[in-house]
Amino acid sequence: MRKFYRELPPLALLLVALVVVIFPYVWTLLTSLKPEAAINRPLDWNFTPTLAHWQRVLLESNIPLQVRNSALVGLFTVGIALLLGAPAAYAFSRFRAGGSSLRFIILAAQMLPPAVLIVPFFLIMYNLKLLDSIWAVVATHLTFALPLVTWFLIGFLDDVPRDLEEQAMIDGCTQWQAFYKVILPTIRPGLGAAALFAFILSWNDLFYALLLTGKESATLPVGIAGFWTFRGIEMGQMSAAIILAILPVTIASFFVQKYLVRGLGGGALKG
Amino acid sequence: MHIAFRYRLLLPLITALLLIVGYPLGFSFWVSLQDYRLTAIEGATWIGIEHYIALLRNNSFWTALRNTLVFVATAVSLELLLGLSLAMLLHRRTTLGRNFFRSILLTPMFITPIAVGLMFRFLLNSQLGVITKLTEAIGLRIDWFSAQNALLTLALIDVWQWTPFMLLLLLAGLEALPEEPFEAARVDGASAWQSFWHLTLPMLRPTLLAAIVIRMLDAFKVYEYVYAITRGGPGESTETIQYHIYRVGFLYYRLGEASAMAYVLIAVILVLVVTLFYSLRRA
Repeated sequence: MRKFYRELPPLALLLVALVVVIFPYVWTLLTSLKPEAAINRPLDWNFTPTLAHWQRVLLESNIPLQVRNSALVGLFTVGIALLLGAPAAYAFSRFRAGGSSLRFIILAAQMLPPAVLIVPFFLIMYNLKLLDSIWAVVATHLTFALPLVTWFLIGFLDDVPRDLEEQAMIDGCTQWQAFYKVILPTIRPGLGAAALFAFILSWNDLFYALLLTGKESATLPVGIAGFWTFRGIEMGQMSAAIILAILPVTIASFFVQKYLVRGLGGGALKG
Repeated sequence: MHIAFRYRLLLPLITALLLIVGYPLGFSFWVSLQDYRLTAIEGATWIGIEHYIALLRNNSFWTALRNTLVFVATAVSLELLLGLSLAMLLHRRTTLGRNFFRSILLTPMFITPIAVGLMFRFLLNSQLGVITKLTEAIGLRIDWFSAQNALLTLALIDVWQWTPFMLLLLLAGLEALPEEPFEAARVDGASAWQSFWHLTLPMLRPTLLAAIVIRMLDAFKVYEYVYAITRGGPGESTETIQYHIYRVGFLYYRLGEASAMAYVLIAVILVLVVTLFYSLRRA
């Protein structure tokens, strides 16, 4: 019993943290279900829930198009990042290619402030006539997705025993076959986690998308950012759009959390 | 044969990075040496390092840089403090529902910052905001976005979103620590506080260092909260560097000047990270 009482203070603190974290979500969800008049009286709980905002957002706005654009940008970014990042990560992990300095140069690329890259990207895309297209956004998202995926996979590949590909090569595989037929399948969770995390980062980006897209190619964060220009009148719709943007990544986060530290470390946090 | 294979694996990535990071970086430097304007892209003229010299006397730029440093220092130190406390709580074997708390408490770091900014703009709004109304009910009138408070409020929003990242890394760091020293300390009669101060903190130093550097670099990029809520105001009180570069480049169309600012920013960050790294390593 005494033991139980000793557990109460930490539990209370964690509950406070929990409320602080959850409250904004709950309030936004509630706002998306409130009629316009009730939104103006935040402490009044007497309202009849309505789906009007959701209906407007899902059926009469550009949000579905923006969801599609965000999904496409994310899928292309992740696809290319995996295609180029996985072989490179294998080279880093198995052959120590380029030593540790090349690894860190690649990581440093991920840390560059977007403000540094946006001006040249804007001009390059202008010259290539790619402004207002999702390809411009994919290119900028690769600047963080490529280093991230590579770094992520190094961490997972380091844990795969070398005997595996040696055995495969004795059995007649080439080096390349040993890599993609034997090694890649063993790090499937790592590939999944890297893909999911890179997708989340792409899905969440506002800065690049805001400057490189137009009406047709706008992504979801750009769409959400557009709501407040109506001086708070579209509060309910904005809340619905926010829920739409954060729900999928929150669910995805439960799958990715477990692998995140292992991936982010890339060997750096182990020692 | 062996050598050829490893470089064949690397080549696609290196080529891609040279194309999308290396080339833009070089191009950006070239742009910073010209009077490059969005309104007259074809008519740019070479002006050498004039933009860099002008920056020395550009008050708005240094204000933005100072605001960003204040923002980063406030946000990251609070995140470190809260993240470490929460990590210690969740690390205790006996804490009830650890996995449940952990997975919920980590969620803010995964959602889009523009949504976080807009949610808090709404929650803290002076007329519609439920948090404002609740604090008023207990007699506290806080104007969250006044000239004095706005930057601090933005830092607190950053704390809400990014303490989870600290928690994630520090919890992993704690879980990787060996058990023996702590058991030995307990046998010798050390208090919980003593073993935290003399064992946990020193052993956790590499993780702490990594977490601080990663968070700092990321906090330097703050843009979405400013865009969502204050757009740099009131006055220049929340003008952060990334927002300022956006403003100069894309609202005032002065791309050359914006590029020069970006390069100074890289230099500032580099100096800061190197200093921090060496001072924390030696300490």
